[in-house]
Amino acid sequence: MFGPRSVILIALASAGAFAQPGHRGMAPPPGGPGDFAFVRGEFGFSRKVVTGAPYSAQASTQFTQTLADGTHIQRSSTASMARDSQGRTRTEQTMSSIGPLSASGATPRTTVFIHDPVASMSYVLDPSAHTVRQMQISQRGPQSQNGTASSRARPMAHARHGANATTEDLGTQVIQGLNATGTRVTRTIAAGSAGNDRAIQVVTETWYSPDLQMVVMSKSSDPRFGESVYQLTNITRAEPDPTLFTVPSGYTVMQGGPGRGRPAPQQ
Amino acid sequence: MNEHEQQQLMDGLRALAALEPLQASPRVEQTLRATFRARAERRRRTIWASTAAGFLAAAAAIAVLFFAPVPWHRNTQAQQAASERPAPGASVPAAQYAVVRTDELASSFYPLPEADDLPPVETTLVVRVQLPVSSLQLMGFSMGEDAGAEPVQAEVLLGQDGLARGVRLIQ
Repeated sequence: MFGPRSVILIALASAGAFAQPGHRGMAPPPGGPGDFAFVRGEFGFSRKVVTGAPYSAQASTQFTQTLADGTHIQRSSTASMARDSQGRTRTEQTMSSIGPLSASGATPRTTVFIHDPVASMSYVLDPSAHTVRQMQISQRGPQSQNGTASSRARPMAHARHGANATTEDLGTQVIQGLNATGTRVTRTIAAGSAGNDRAIQVVTETWYSPDLQMVVMSKSSDPRFGESVYQLTNITRAEPDPTLFTVPSGYTVMQGGPGRGRPAPQQ
Repeated sequence: MNEHEQQQLMDGLRALAALEPLQASPRVEQTLRATFRARAERRRRTIWASTAAGFLAAAAAIAVLFFAPVPWHRNTQAQQAASERPAPGASVPAAQYAVVRTDELASSFYPLPEADDLPPVETTLVVRVQLPVSSLQLMGFSMGEDAGAEPVQAEVLLGQDGLARGVRLIQ
């Protein structure tokens, strides 16, 4: 009984602790070399429902970590993203890495997450197995925002970073054909506050498109963990194909929502 | 002291030794006995009170351990929702979801240390992975020297950039 609790306590006690980059002494997980084995997508959702601002784009993330001995570790992940005028979203994520962790297996797994606030449904498609997990979602109050620029839609300029952070307005730039406003947050971890003998600066740069109401590029640099660059490319603002937001025919619906593995009874 | 004085002292001591032993009066003896009984009674009460307090504290600790809501709990009604504990950077999600099998144990999502400095979350994806406990160190958790290669299942909460914001273990 106390096993899981102990693990959580360990995890809690470690929150805020420094990661140990370069610790590679673990045995590979089942499924071959790699830091983790992908099991399945569970669910996905959008933080807010944005209507009237359709788009489709490719998203890529490059993660770079430099170990103490100078070794560089580079990971990347890609995704196809789309949103229609009604606020339905689709994310087709190829799961080859999660930050510094690499997935086992020769072929990266692709999972499709569809969030349909119109039908109050969420779907997770497994294209390789032709299965879909579906679940009903309940909206909590009015969340929809139309495509006009809204101050509420603007990220909160990293207010969560606290008093040790400084925020710079980087102005406006055109990124991938879209006007984007930039914000740079520099957080300083004072010497001695985390066992560090010198101050550590963590820099996060975010470029936000008021038109799309979403981040189109971001960079994060943390000496403890590495650097990451996220960018949207091939942005198209036309209405996406409606079939992207529906479950393709031939997919077996897994009953009971995420986590269950039993196919639904044939009707 | 001369011989005469020594002789007087010895006579006095002999005379004193010849007297009958002096005893306290019965009233003094009763007062002393009552005082000792009262002290003994107070001591017994203190011991019992301390013992009872110890038992009560132990019982309270056990009750907290077994009955208080803790992050790791059985999801008997699949009521675990990702929005119960959003990862740093994520505002309260727009919807709640039941995401855990009824026969599984899951903790709440624990924010990863580096997630605090990642860009705000706009789209959240949750994926289930299997990984050695020691791999959690790569995600920012310090699991100690005894963290082994035993595989565990975990759900990882990703942002739109594919970077992990939170993790929770599944059993």
